[in-house]
Amino acid sequence: MSLPALQAALRRGPSFSPFVVLGDPTPELSVTLARTAAENGGDMLEIGFPYSDPVADGPAVQAAGFRSLAGGTSTRSALRLLGRIAAACPETPLNLLVYGNLVHQIGWDRFAGEAVAAGASSLLTPDIPLEEAGPLRRASERAGLGHVELAGPLTPRQRLQRLAEAADFVYLAGFQGVTGVRSAGFQAMADRLREAREQVGVPLCLGFGLSRREQITAAFAAGASIAVVGSHFARIVERIFRGPEDEERLLAAYAAAARRLAGRDGSTKN
Amino acid sequence: MTGESWPHSGAFGEFGGRFAPELLLPALEELEAARRDIVPTPDFQQELDREAAQWVGRPTPLTAAPRFSRRAGLEVVFKREDLLHGGAHKANNVLGQALLARAMGKTRLIAETGAGQHGAATAMIAARFGMEAVIYMGERDMERQAPNVKRMELCGARVVPVAIGARTLKDAINEALRDWTHSLGTTHYLLGTAAGPHPFPRLVRDFQAVIGREAKAQWEARFGGLPDVVVACVGGGSNAIGIFHAFLGEAEVGLIGVEPGGDGLETDRHGATLVRGTPGLLHGARTMILQDAEGQILEPHSISAGLDYPGVGPEHAHLQATGRARYVAATDDEALAAFEALSESEGIVPAFEPSHALALVLRARETGEIAEGARVLLNLCGRGDKDLDTYFALGRQA
Repeated sequence: MSLPALQAALRRGPSFSPFVVLGDPTPELSVTLARTAAENGGDMLEIGFPYSDPVADGPAVQAAGFRSLAGGTSTRSALRLLGRIAAACPETPLNLLVYGNLVHQIGWDRFAGEAVAAGASSLLTPDIPLEEAGPLRRASERAGLGHVELAGPLTPRQRLQRLAEAADFVYLAGFQGVTGVRSAGFQAMADRLREAREQVGVPLCLGFGLSRREQITAAFAAGASIAVVGSHFARIVERIFRGPEDEERLLAAYAAAARRLAGRDGSTKN
Repeated sequence: MTGESWPHSGAFGEFGGRFAPELLLPALEELEAARRDIVPTPDFQQELDREAAQWVGRPTPLTAAPRFSRRAGLEVVFKREDLLHGGAHKANNVLGQALLARAMGKTRLIAETGAGQHGAATAMIAARFGMEAVIYMGERDMERQAPNVKRMELCGARVVPVAIGARTLKDAINEALRDWTHSLGTTHYLLGTAAGPHPFPRLVRDFQAVIGREAKAQWEARFGGLPDVVVACVGGGSNAIGIFHAFLGEAEVGLIGVEPGGDGLETDRHGATLVRGTPGLLHGARTMILQDAEGQILEPHSISAGLDYPGVGPEHAHLQATGRARYVAATDDEALAAFEALSESEGIVPAFEPSHALALVLRARETGEIAEGARVLLNLCGRGDKDLDTYFALGRQA
């Protein structure tokens, strides 16, 4: 889905965004999992490319990436899987999470062009901060790929504004640390989000640490346009999948988790 | 961001920069401010000098090596960093960074270690300063370097096994960076080499530059003039940049870095990032790295665990690109032969790391890599006690 289509979608209402690592647990299944997440309440998808040195990620997402790499996923094959997901979910915005070296190695312009051709809406490179993002940002702009900047709980107000000016949306990490499920500190995150909402004009995406429906509704209430759940989904794959015989159980658990987090299981009112 | 110059932060030409998650930037900016505001103060410098003298054991001597020189057919003089506390140049860096961390009000040090040398040095300085130390070490390295694990624990450090990825040095660095992202309020990441995101390459270089400053003055006083060539081994590159730095402005002094050639450059089992790598982003910097065609980081190989790193300090990448320094590789076998040659000829058992630099000197007459009659200053950056078990297990006939 194109960047303008993503922006239009965000204007219509907040988006719950499950995170899927391409190639995990198998190339084929990662496409099915993405489609399952989208069909069961995922308004948007965050799509991770596996990388050997994921410094911003906690254990669950690291393990997902390593499972994918062990299965032979490469940047090239990941781009092909992305294309299949986009074809299967034409109405779903796709935000890519790709570590900088994978993009650098293929080339800024070439990667941005191929990502857009495959159906990506936007790109976050978690290890390229604002000051180093110039070449990437210009390439993304040329290709029509949305540019996302990461911010954290300690990001000063002025810097947050500069990040927002440079980005199509700002991805706010709700916790100071790496990705992963957390239970504490949620209120501070909501406060921080509310504050950020008043400071910047671009959509805000909240991620890092979310795993419960009430966190997502609170994030939306505090002004988030997107709420990402990542490690929670990676853990489901880790817990259930040992081989092809587990496929059905995995898809059922994935769908149930997506429905629950999207508020579609009837147990939680949105 | 006009893009005239990239990388943006702390670049060395087209290398360096600060490729770290936004969440780490507060720590990197705090460290950069401390480097700028605290390191140059007389108080800091006096304490650094005092501790360098009484705890680290500076200055180290220059040692002429006539019998080794005869074998090499070159006049070789060693800078004896192997005589420092802990047995390697690592002490220069841990002292400087720990003093700085203390001045910044940090109470906890974290570090990565491969062979265990930097981890042990960090554990030692933490004990001396009464700070908490947590050392990240790949699970595979912990098995290979069990005595160093005990040594760190003896000094009160906690050694955390890293069981993800390749379970070696690069993964230990990743894990330390992750720790720092959430602990930065109380914690300083004491990075062990002149690599990583800005300001680490400069910070570590400046604390290691004492090697070259001392050696240059010692050489001048003893032999007059300057050496013709300065040689050092390069893994991450801190000992090499430490001895090169004082000579960068002396155009007539040749600088040669020797990388681990492992089983040979024609194989995929080596760690020669400058000789065989390509530009990429690793551990916070744009530098030369070992990676596959699509940007996944490769696992290097060397008999020397201290050189076994898929990246290299960005300043070396720059010195190579500009031609100011030359980088070559020596294989495991060449390094082992040099290890034996120095032990036999001078009664100095070197670490496997500087054995690579020694190997270059030994073969230079044949290969022409160093001009005949050149006077060579070589950084003997560590002693070989730690490598004896590995050496004897090889069953070589000395």
